[in-house]
Amino acid sequence: MSSTLCCSFAKNVTLRSSDGQTFEVEEAAAQVSQTIKRMIEDGCTGSVIPVPNLTGPVLALVIEYFKKHSPPSDGCPTALLEMEIKDWDAKFVAVDNDTLLDLTLAAHYLEIQGLLDLTCHRVADILNDNSVEKIREIFHIKNDFTPEEEAEERSKIQWAFE
Amino acid sequence: MDSPPDLADEFRNWLELPRDVTASILLRLDAIEILTSAQMVCSPWRKLCKDPSMWRTVHIRNPHSHWAISDLEKMCRQAVDRSCGQLVDIYIEYFGDDELLRHIADSSNQLKRLRLVSVYDVSDEGLREMAAKHPLLEELDISFCSLSEKTLKAVGRRCPHLKSFKYNEKGYRYPHVECNGLALTIAKNMPELRHLQLFGDKLTNDGLQAILDGCPHLESLDLRQCFNVNLAGDLGRRCAQQIKHLRLPHDSTDDYEFGGELDGYGSSDFEDGYLSGYSDVDCLSEPCGYYDFPGYDPINDEFTNYDFIFNYGDFNDDGFY
Repeated sequence: MSSTLCCSFAKNVTLRSSDGQTFEVEEAAAQVSQTIKRMIEDGCTGSVIPVPNLTGPVLALVIEYFKKHSPPSDGCPTALLEMEIKDWDAKFVAVDNDTLLDLTLAAHYLEIQGLLDLTCHRVADILNDNSVEKIREIFHIKNDFTPEEEAEERSKIQWAFE
Repeated sequence: MDSPPDLADEFRNWLELPRDVTASILLRLDAIEILTSAQMVCSPWRKLCKDPSMWRTVHIRNPHSHWAISDLEKMCRQAVDRSCGQLVDIYIEYFGDDELLRHIADSSNQLKRLRLVSVYDVSDEGLREMAAKHPLLEELDISFCSLSEKTLKAVGRRCPHLKSFKYNEKGYRYPHVECNGLALTIAKNMPELRHLQLFGDKLTNDGLQAILDGCPHLESLDLRQCFNVNLAGDLGRRCAQQIKHLRLPHDSTDDYEFGGELDGYGSSDFEDGYLSGYSDVDCLSEPCGYYDFPGYDPINDEFTNYDFIFNYGDFNDDGFY
């Protein structure tokens, strides 16, 4: 009886963002992040786990990802569930570019490999679909080549522009 | 120059991504995209795109014929040169010849994975030379190329660690051709295979039996559109027991990576296209090429109306297709 009771109450942890917002989340879900998992395992979390690299809104998004990707409590994920998660993932990263950047950085800092793959893949898709000029515009990247450097680089692959 | 001053400062800066993450993004682009676009975006990206670690894997496909063959070859050489000997995995499709293959062979110290798909200008000698220089090759795909059994024998002997081999063809039923040459060559010379894909091959149950005997470690075997194989009896049971991932001759081709190569003639819909009075060909040894079909007269070109029959394989002088 006691073990049933124990399992029926999931243990929660509290995460605190850089701007002081706190979020309560199931421990199992938070462990989707390898960084948080290590902190929990090392027992150095105290009552609140600080996540200093993420602002509240970004941490809230990441927690949504945690919840969707936390290991199912009853057995293996079904094929249907996997498909549903895949659809959910695609929608999750269909966001504006600033948010995409935030999510990529968050996935990197918190070591969430699945989310990092997802965001990197999304960025790569955008790169694939656009010209050099458009890529600079979309990602707000300054063209730091001198006109001479750019001409020289283009001349090396002249065939691409013929 | 393309943004007003300070515009970039008002937005989040994508260059703040750690180098590893940017590399992980750029590694998802194919070589063409990196060479013609990504490396031109800004100097940090260009620096990254010149790092040899970005070029361990080089995939250059040209599915929509957007590029001229000569451009693809230039790009391939640039990509291979940038790897500074670190190239491990190369995949080229619809372009390339012996000279390019030699350049690839000489530019890598550690090639493990070689995929030459529809590279019609690579010769037997070219592939043998490559195999001699890269004995640690573990994966080889020569789908839709025209290479002889003799060459595959040499490749098997030279590359004893070969674990994956793909030699796909377009599957067809008619004319009915049986040919176990490829199967027997694999069985005798590639004993360490784990993965084998022989889409559309003309092997029979004898050839399959030889493969099961000769390649005891085989885990996956794709026999889709190998219409001469009949797995109804004991052989089917043995396959199911021995092979973890087995694709059967009539299995769906939906997830076949070269789906575009299929013409639909491999299906039973083609039953009506069978030529009455046209002898079946039993090709058990080399050569089994175009001119070996009984009754065919190349001078008068008797089968002119049936040209489509011969479009499914590129027969060469070695009779291997």
